[in-house]
Amino acid sequence: MGEAEKTFIGGLHEKLVEDKIIDESQLEPGFAKEIQKYGGKDVMTCLQCGNCTGVCPISLKIDYKTRSIIKFCQFGLKKYTLGTRWVCATCYRCYEHCPADINPAEVMIALRHIAVREGVIPPFVKIAATNLVKYGQSVKPDPEIDKIRKELGLGEVHSKHVDYRHVLKEIAVLVHASKYDKLIGIEEEVKV
Amino acid sequence: MSSYAYFFGCVIPNRYPGIEYSVRWVCGKEGFDLDVADIKDFSCCPVPGIFYSTDKDTWLLLASRNLTLAQDERREILTVCNGCLTSLLKATEYLQDPKNMGKVNRVLAQIGKKYTGVAKKSEGRRKVFEPVKVRHYVEVMTKDVGLEAIAAKAKRPLKNIKVAVHYGCHYLRPTEHQTFDDPNDPVLIDRMVEACGATSVDYEDKLDCCGAGGGVRSHVIELANSLTQDKCTNIAAAGADCIVTGCPFCLLQFDNAQKEFSKDGIPVMHISQLQALAMGIDPISLGFDTHHVSAHSLLRKLRGV
Repeated sequence: MGEAEKTFIGGLHEKLVEDKIIDESQLEPGFAKEIQKYGGKDVMTCLQCGNCTGVCPISLKIDYKTRSIIKFCQFGLKKYTLGTRWVCATCYRCYEHCPADINPAEVMIALRHIAVREGVIPPFVKIAATNLVKYGQSVKPDPEIDKIRKELGLGEVHSKHVDYRHVLKEIAVLVHASKYDKLIGIEEEVKV
Repeated sequence: MSSYAYFFGCVIPNRYPGIEYSVRWVCGKEGFDLDVADIKDFSCCPVPGIFYSTDKDTWLLLASRNLTLAQDERREILTVCNGCLTSLLKATEYLQDPKNMGKVNRVLAQIGKKYTGVAKKSEGRRKVFEPVKVRHYVEVMTKDVGLEAIAAKAKRPLKNIKVAVHYGCHYLRPTEHQTFDDPNDPVLIDRMVEACGATSVDYEDKLDCCGAGGGVRSHVIELANSLTQDKCTNIAAAGADCIVTGCPFCLLQFDNAQKEFSKDGIPVMHISQLQALAMGIDPISLGFDTHHVSAHSLLRKLRGV
């Protein structure tokens, strides 16, 4: 256990296990490192001041406390964090108010990276990713809107042009190279 | 003045073509006659709530592909959306790290592209590169075109119109890269509204989130809508005739969410649409028919009925 870990959560950790609030088997000691791997900062330096929760627009509405999620990350309670349902609006208010410069929004983004790799993939991610590969855009073109575009003299959206096909091909190559097609499950696998 | 490339993103062309029309109109011959071109090969930025959230490598590759297109044309990217702004701007910063740039270029080589940044000058045999510039429509309008020019072109000033400005999170934060406006006390959209002759009204929690970003709208729509409802309550209390924003995704959220909790709703438009109105465009060209909340009340007031 690292020095910071001992200082901040050492005692509490034992107390929680003693009181059987959490049991040892739920803890993943390498979790904080895993978060760093996906671009989050070191959650062990969190002071638990609660500023992030105070300014979070989501925490006003539902039982979602940024501070608690960072706490779970410190303990290594991975399964609690994966169930946080993608409710962070990435407004970055927590980042602006964090005295320890943790950037909780980026921690949430790292948690999403981890969740996706654990197979927790919300349907809209799959839809948007598939749209991108199919149309080059995350929003699916709508024939009704195309009619209005015509009226305004704007022409069809580029994704329909014949000379846009090479763009879709390029996107397919990139998505395939980073193995994103497999990760998200974009219609099995992108054919290159 | 610089030369630009339009970057409309996904939401505008496929959901709110009126914004595309008004931006083209304001930047074109009828308006400020900027040197701005289309790059047809642009794809989705890609959207940060999906790609930046799930796989940063893929996000950076796709963003870099867009950046190389602007780099090869030696143009600044003119975004009309806060999401595109934050995604592309962040990508240029990631690419400043030689390690990231090398990694990206090894993959981009497969499609015959390379990100270097724009060559600015040569010092002896060494070339100096600058990152591709990514600029928000509001920034270009206020910094390059100028508020005086905007006011001078507003032939039909929008007197009596009260506007509630919504900036949107990714216009303001994170402050490490958004520097063209004050993140804690932004003023530029308000100033543009006033240059158009309208009044920008203050309202409570003006800088709050619309609720849509980061995948919240797509994932838990009730939660997103409840945040929007709070904002709309404050906006209605200030007596605003319309909501004006610089972000089509915030606009989409305000426009769609309002039908869930209010009968008429407050019309929502992009700052470019407001500008075009003040510059005397025929409102029929603004594509208000694709908006869910009718702009009828506002247009009536404009006509003085």
